[in-house]
Amino acid sequence: MPANDGTNAPLLEAVGVGHSYGRKLVLNDVSLSVQCGEAVAIVGENGAGKSTLMRICAGLIRPDCGDVRARGRVGYCPQIPGLFDLLNADEHLWLFAPALGLSHEQVLGQGRTLLAELGFPVGDRSQARHLSGGARQKLNLALALLGGARVLLLDEPYQGFDRGAYVSFWEHVSGWQAKGLAVVVVTHLLTDLALVDRVFELETPRGSRSQFEASAR
Amino acid sequence: MRLNRVTVPAAMTGRELVRRYVALGLLTVLPLAFYGASLSSGPHHAAITGGIAMAFSVAGASIFAALTARPVDQRLVLAGYHPYELLLGRLLFLELFGVVVSALFSLIMVLGTEPPHPVLLGVGVELVAVTSVPFGLAVGALAPTELEGVLILIGVVGIQLTLDSTRTIAKLLPFWGPQRLLEHSLNASVPIGLSLMVALAYASALLVAATYIVHRRAPVSRTIGNPSVPA
Repeated sequence: MPANDGTNAPLLEAVGVGHSYGRKLVLNDVSLSVQCGEAVAIVGENGAGKSTLMRICAGLIRPDCGDVRARGRVGYCPQIPGLFDLLNADEHLWLFAPALGLSHEQVLGQGRTLLAELGFPVGDRSQARHLSGGARQKLNLALALLGGARVLLLDEPYQGFDRGAYVSFWEHVSGWQAKGLAVVVVTHLLTDLALVDRVFELETPRGSRSQFEASAR
Repeated sequence: MRLNRVTVPAAMTGRELVRRYVALGLLTVLPLAFYGASLSSGPHHAAITGGIAMAFSVAGASIFAALTARPVDQRLVLAGYHPYELLLGRLLFLELFGVVVSALFSLIMVLGTEPPHPVLLGVGVELVAVTSVPFGLAVGALAPTELEGVLILIGVVGIQLTLDSTRTIAKLLPFWGPQRLLEHSLNASVPIGLSLMVALAYASALLVAATYIVHRRAPVSRTIGNPSVPA
């Protein structure tokens, strides 16, 4: 049973979201709500708009229509790690510290704990460009978790993970649920679907933006 | 605004740039190469060419810093930075880098050219560097990729280099003010008028443009209520 924060309001709520890239319609009237302590998997074929929906929910893209609201800090883990190639893990943590209102010591303590839990070689001074794909992804994920996020938007967060790290990731998802976080994971793996509370399937909109606008009228 | 919200991004920009040894070396040598290659046309011509070519180095570094940081900046703003804090941090380090590199380069040019007004030559080169940072940050914020950014840089600085400073088009470009100062340092009969003020106004306008663009691209807040409420 997921933890509850005492209210029935969802931690993340997207209503009637629509988005196009030029003439190509990617999302049409998508609504999603995620409760406190709930884990939701977003699935769909390539081009269905999974990553676009995540970016809209994170606030990185303004949707053409619809509204998205989150209660509490949003942690976003992009599909392609957003890292500085020439900075090491500790420097990335330090860079995030002022944004999160943490001191250098606090962010190193919190970040290194997260990294250790994910199986990252803590203390490794290698620049991000010299890390393995899995290690980069672990750093990417840890940065999303920093600062006590209440809503986690994880876009295929375990790419490059070995089997042990993958299993550990899902154990962490259970832990985050127990703490009352709302977790949204984009996935292509069928095995993941049994590990979440709900599966949200995005269908690829057929047609162009103008056709949808015409049908809406 | 707490100071570390600007100084930490500035320090990280510095670490990123300093670790690009090859690029840094090329950026530093580039104006020197322009200066050396132009010496055959006379020391005065070489000093103006080399001075303006400083823009390739400093603006190039600024464009690259802005474009490299763009995907990470989105996450940093999402985490709690204001876009202008990141811009200010980057500006701080790059201006420092530009001032140091252009001071060294000015010294070489003064020794090689022996201008009648060596201090003004130094001020002209420094002004190129000072203007180059907001120019590079604005181009970096606007250009979709490095290719477009570098092409804009080559276009603007290249045109400035080839044009006579009395031409109207030259006056519309960002490095006209420093160009006039450089010319005046070598030939006192060239009037400088308001060129210093024009250069500083141009640099300020470019900074405002860069701030506006990064602000437009910044993530939108999705959070309602108190984001610090513990889970």
